[in-house]
This record gives sequence, C-alpha cells and structure tokens, in this order.
Amino acid sequence: MIGALRSEWTKLRTSPGTIWLLLAVVVATVAVSAAAVAGTTCRWGGCDVDPARLALTGVQLGQAVAAILAVLVIGGEYGTGMHRITLTAVPRRGVVLVAKAVVVSAVIVAASAAAVAGSLLATRPLLRRNGLPALSMDDGGAVRAAVGSVLYLTLVALLALGVATAVRHSAAAIGAVLGLLYLFPIMAQAVSDEKWQRYLTKLGPMTAGLTIQATKHLTELPIAPWKGLGVLAVWSVGCLLAGGALLVRRDA
Amino acid sequence: MNKTIIAVDGLRKRFGRTVALDGMSFTVQPGRVTGFVGPNGAGKTTTMRVILGLDAPDSGTALIGGQPYRALRRPLCHVGSLLDAGALQPSRTARNHLLWLAHSQGLTARRVDEVLEGAGLTTVARRRAGGFSLGMRQRLGLAAALLGDPPVLVLDEPFNGMDPEGIIWMRGFLKTLAAQGRAVLVSSHLMSELQDTADHVVVVGRGRVIADASVVQLLAATANGRVTLRTDSARAATVLADAGGTVAAAGVGVLSVSGLATDAVVALMNANGIGFSEVSAHRATLEEAYLELTRDAVEFKAVSR
Repeated sequence: MIGALRSEWTKLRTSPGTIWLLLAVVVATVAVSAAAVAGTTCRWGGCDVDPARLALTGVQLGQAVAAILAVLVIGGEYGTGMHRITLTAVPRRGVVLVAKAVVVSAVIVAASAAAVAGSLLATRPLLRRNGLPALSMDDGGAVRAAVGSVLYLTLVALLALGVATAVRHSAAAIGAVLGLLYLFPIMAQAVSDEKWQRYLTKLGPMTAGLTIQATKHLTELPIAPWKGLGVLAVWSVGCLLAGGALLVRRDA
Repeated sequence: MNKTIIAVDGLRKRFGRTVALDGMSFTVQPGRVTGFVGPNGAGKTTTMRVILGLDAPDSGTALIGGQPYRALRRPLCHVGSLLDAGALQPSRTARNHLLWLAHSQGLTARRVDEVLEGAGLTTVARRRAGGFSLGMRQRLGLAAALLGDPPVLVLDEPFNGMDPEGIIWMRGFLKTLAAQGRAVLVSSHLMSELQDTADHVVVVGRGRVIADASVVQLLAATANGRVTLRTDSARAATVLADAGGTVAAAGVGVLSVSGLATDAVVALMNANGIGFSEVSAHRATLEEAYLELTRDAVEFKAVSR
C-alpha cells in the first residue's frame, strides 16, 4: 500500500498538468465568488441573501476543474495504455484505486482550502461595500460553510475518479460527471411540481451537497446541511465502489 | 528441483465469438531465450497478458514460480515485462516515468539511474518520453522491465520499430540476460528476428502450441534429411529414384533428394560413374521451419493466382 501511494504521488507530482489544474481550482473559485458578491447589492433585493453561500458561489465552477483533475488521474492512463504498466506494478487493483483516491483527496483538500480562504478574504470588502451582512468566523454556520465547501470539492473529485475508472475515457467521464452534477438542478427548475422539485434537490449530488454552505433559513432547506453533504458522500462512495468493482473484474 | 519459472497450462479464452486461446500450454526455463512465435492473431499477446495478470482466462492457469502473478509482492522484482512501448504519458520525462515505477516497488532513484545507463538513455533521461522514437521507447520499456532486476522477463515484440543496428543490439542484450541465468520469453511474428538469439522456440497458431522444441531440434526436423546434389548428368535422377530416393529438381543442374543419406548418395554416384561437383545435407533456416509449421495455422492466408 505504501509503495502504491508513493507511486501515485510521484505520478501526480510529475504530471505537468497537475499544478496548473490545482491553480485553476483556486483561481476559478475565487474569481467567481468575488464576481458574485460584487454583483449583489442590498438595493436590488440582496439584503436577505445568505452571505456564506454568496461568498462561496465560485465552488460551483471550481468543482468542474477539480473533477477534471480527478478524471485525468486515471483517464490519462487509459488513454495511453499506461494503466497496464500500473497494474503490472501493483496487481492488487483495489489498492491502485485507493492510492489514487488518497493522493487526489490530498491535493484537492489543499487546493480547495486555498480556494475557500481566498474567496472569503476577497469577498469581505465587497460584502461591506455592497451593504451586505458580513461573515464572521465566530459564527458556527460560516465555519461549517467554509469547511464543508472544502469537503464538498473533495467529494466531487472522488465521484469523478470513480466515474472515470468505470468509463475508462477522459472526455466521456468529464461529460458524465458534469451531467450528473448539473442535471439535477436543471431538472428541478424544469418541473413545476414543488414536491418533485424538493425531491430532486435532495437527491442531486450538487444540489444536496451545496446545502452545506447555507447559514440562513435552515428550516426551509429541502435537506439539512450535513445530511446534504452526506448525500454527496453516498454518490462519491457509490461511484468509487462501482469503478473499483469494474476495475477488478475487467480485463485491463 | 523443478526449474520451470513460467508454467502456462491449458489457457482458454474467447472474446465474443473469437477464440483467442484454445488450450495454450508451455513452460519457460531459466538461462535461455525462449522465442514465442506465431502469426498475428495467434494469441501471443493475450497469453502474455494472462501471464501478467492483466487478462483473466476463461480456464487454465499461468503461474510464475508456482504463483499467479496477482499474488506476487513487489512483482517487478519477480517479472520484468514490456508489452507496449508506447504505453506512457507523453508529457512525463523518461526518468520520472521510471521513478514512479521504482517507487511502487520500494526502489530508489539510484536504481532508476542505473537502468537508464544500462539502456543507454542517460543523456535523454530528462527529456519528455513523448518525443522519443519507437526505438528509444523500446529501450525505455526495457529499462523499466529491468528495474527490479527480475529473474524472469516477458517481452512482447521488442524488435518492433528498431533499426538494424538496434536489432543487433537487442539480440546481444537478450542473450546476455539469458546468460545471467534469467528466463527470457520473447514474442515475435518474424522468426528471422530470433535466429541466433533464441535457444528454444514455442510456435503458436490459432491459440494453441504447434511446436515446442529447441532450435536445434526444430531445424533438424525441417531439413528432414534432404540432400542437395549438384551434377550435370541426366542419369543421376533415375539412379537415385531406383535406389528409393525421392528426387526433385531444385534449379539448373541441382537436385534435391530425400529418403537417402548423404553418404548413400555419394556411393550411388561413384558406383554408377556419375560425376558431381557438390553434395551437401540441406540446412534449414528457422524461417523455413516456421513457415512449414504454421502453414495451416495462418488465419488470413494470401490467395495467390
């Protein structure tokens, strides 16, 4: 296991794309968060807005970059046939996937911590300028939103790793992951029945998972914050298990 | 003690309706180069993948020192393999490619530099592997196979893409590895590449073994006691046929005789006062032996006339 972990870490570290994608997670998250806050003022009916959700809006773009990085960790090997070398070096295939999951989690936790901290710092003066309520880290809800967003991005990356392991093709995997994330909110908007809307919101990995950012009107949420993140975790674990089962059973 | 290192026994595998392996069985011994030869589609690569635990057979076993590949701890220290030299991420440098492999086996960067030097890649070690020629990638693949200093090597078509100089280098390299006591299994669809390299050949076709013999045995069997006789005499053919030989013209003034030993042919010529300028036992090439064996096994034979 230690050999597999060191090996996957060396692979990730020596892939030139890794550092740029990690920077992109940070930049995309901070930029979209700042733009979202800059574009919201109290005068235009923003007074009732949830400042934590608003200041962390960029997570919705950052997650796509995190997913791409995770997909490429295994999709890049399938694309070149290098997965066969990996599997001759580490024939216990479950160990390979676990090692990949660990190193992906490690770099995504680091990048998303930077992305969330950057978003909160960048949006602080903008919230004040636009007359919106400030975020205080003394407040339990804001801490939950911040820590939860880091966990959210990490779980999305793991979901993407599982999907890519199952479909064995980078482009198809990225399409499938983005589809899975954005399909539920789009469907929820499309249906008119409120009961179905709440149901879809509770079920979707993105809509349920992002409730972790909520600090206001908690009783009106379709699903409680930690429960919502739990729904995403179930998706991620499910995709990893499915990918792992296929990896173990299929010919390489 | 049983010295068998690789034991392939009764492998069967189908891909849909195509039978890839149909009872493939052979063994590989240490200290020699075993050629694994057959036409394209004969099941060579599939067999190697099964040996390396990449593909699962429908039935049968492939064991390395008595264990299935997937049960090996630090497998690269037991078996070195090269299946596809192109199977690497092009943006990673040659040295980093070997480094992650080394780390997976608990080996150090020092070992990486050693094998890079052994393969003659030190000067390009920090260049991106994507820019390498096929010949250089083969060398990098060999360096990877030797990383764990394994007693067994499994190489799929290592001559592919090599220039004549590279082929000569590779032959010497393979012989050196076998001389060090390693078991070397090398596949090729061209028997001529293995001439003067392989000590033993396993010839396969349609997913099963057609011949499993030492090169010496194989050549003797193919020559089949034929004798080449050079003579201008028109009587020679009649005399030889009367003595029980089968005679065929093999060119102007050249007869190919089978069914008679060389000294019998000489005695007959002398007894009948027939002059001849040359008599020799026919020497088969490995290529001829191979063609004879695989004649029925080639899947898509060219249709002539």
